[in-house]
Amino acid sequence: MLRDFVAKFTQKPIPFVKQGNKFYLENKSLEKEKLKQKEKVFGLYLGEEKEGAFHPAFGLLDWLSENSTEKVFVKDIGEMDFLYGKTLRARHIDHVDGETKIGFLKLVQNMNDENLGYGKITGDFSTTGQVLKPRMDRGLFLKREKKKESAGQDF
Amino acid sequence: MNIFVERYKQMGEHPDFVKLRKVIRVNTRKITAEALKERLEKKEVIMERIPFLDNAFWVKAKFNLVSSPEYLLGLFYFQEAAAQIAVEVLKPKGLALDCCAAPGGKTTQMAERCDVIAIENRADRFPALENNIERLGLRNIIAYQMDFREVQKKFDYILLDAPCSGNYMLEENWMQRNSLKRIEERSNLQKELIAHAVSLLNKDGVLVYSTCSLEPEEDEFVMQFALENFPVKLEKIECIGDKGLTEIFGKKLDPSMKHCRRLWPHKTNTIGFFLARLRKC
Repeated sequence: MLRDFVAKFTQKPIPFVKQGNKFYLENKSLEKEKLKQKEKVFGLYLGEEKEGAFHPAFGLLDWLSENSTEKVFVKDIGEMDFLYGKTLRARHIDHVDGETKIGFLKLVQNMNDENLGYGKITGDFSTTGQVLKPRMDRGLFLKREKKKESAGQDF
Repeated sequence: MNIFVERYKQMGEHPDFVKLRKVIRVNTRKITAEALKERLEKKEVIMERIPFLDNAFWVKAKFNLVSSPEYLLGLFYFQEAAAQIAVEVLKPKGLALDCCAAPGGKTTQMAERCDVIAIENRADRFPALENNIERLGLRNIIAYQMDFREVQKKFDYILLDAPCSGNYMLEENWMQRNSLKRIEERSNLQKELIAHAVSLLNKDGVLVYSTCSLEPEEDEFVMQFALENFPVKLEKIECIGDKGLTEIFGKKLDPSMKHCRRLWPHKTNTIGFFLARLRKC
């Protein structure tokens, strides 16, 4: 499942280890440091299989950012919209690398080439309409924190 | 007079509340301090470098930085200034153990310097640790949900940021809600934890013990227990704060206790904090 997802962005093989239903980036030096107990996090988390579907993690999107050219670059004006789960319009897009056909998945990058998430092409980039629907965005970190202030300060 | 105020008086202090400034630590695995400063200043965030820390700023913004792209991209972490000192004092290399890891401030700070084994016993706190590791994009942390006292592996660097009673800067009505009985209970647990932590240290290995408590029973008395029972010595710490207490409540402590550091909020403008650096002989 992980390989099928990765293949939508790159032909480069991803070195991974699977633990239960979770995938992590292979890390041989870290492997030898393990305790005898079962770990809950092992290095870079790539995603998991749940109810027959693969759910990518941001670690995988970061890896893909370094290894794929299937990217949409979003202008500053579109960055917050995407992070709040809004569908992107053509005016939000600076440029597109790779495939532009409707239905294809694209990594969504800001102008510093940092990954904000990924989405699916829904329209023609040469028009003014909606062009990319978010599938996953880093705004998810806020949703995971029960309330914003919980991220206020760590002691 | 409140019992804690009376005790602080015996330590020669007249503590008062201070208004804490918001602090961020730069995730240097993703961006440099200079680049982050430039980026946030463009958004009219006031950034002031903290002189006693490696990669931290006092910040003031007109908007909630938690919802900024830079936060969501994991370029920084909100972490109070005093809490950042522990890792800087440990100076870990290679592989280090974080005994009480969630929500992950010190764990992720350590991971900028070395590989980390992170231990957290509480199931309700573990998701915050996982979330922070993922947000910061760190690739060199193995985290376990288990009791730290079950760990058997040996380490050269250990951070024991021990569960403690906290201090009056962290909790409303802290002085009314706490008791000497609770302090004593915490102290007993801390002695158990330090005993196990020392047993996991290699010879010449370094252990930093820290708490956000200002109560000697949770700080110097725990260190005294360690010095009296295990082959360890206290090492001098170069950081802000006062020297550790060598005599308090009628008890004379080891003279090397002065090497510890005590951060009083009214003197350092941070939360209350205690730090000690032990080396195994």
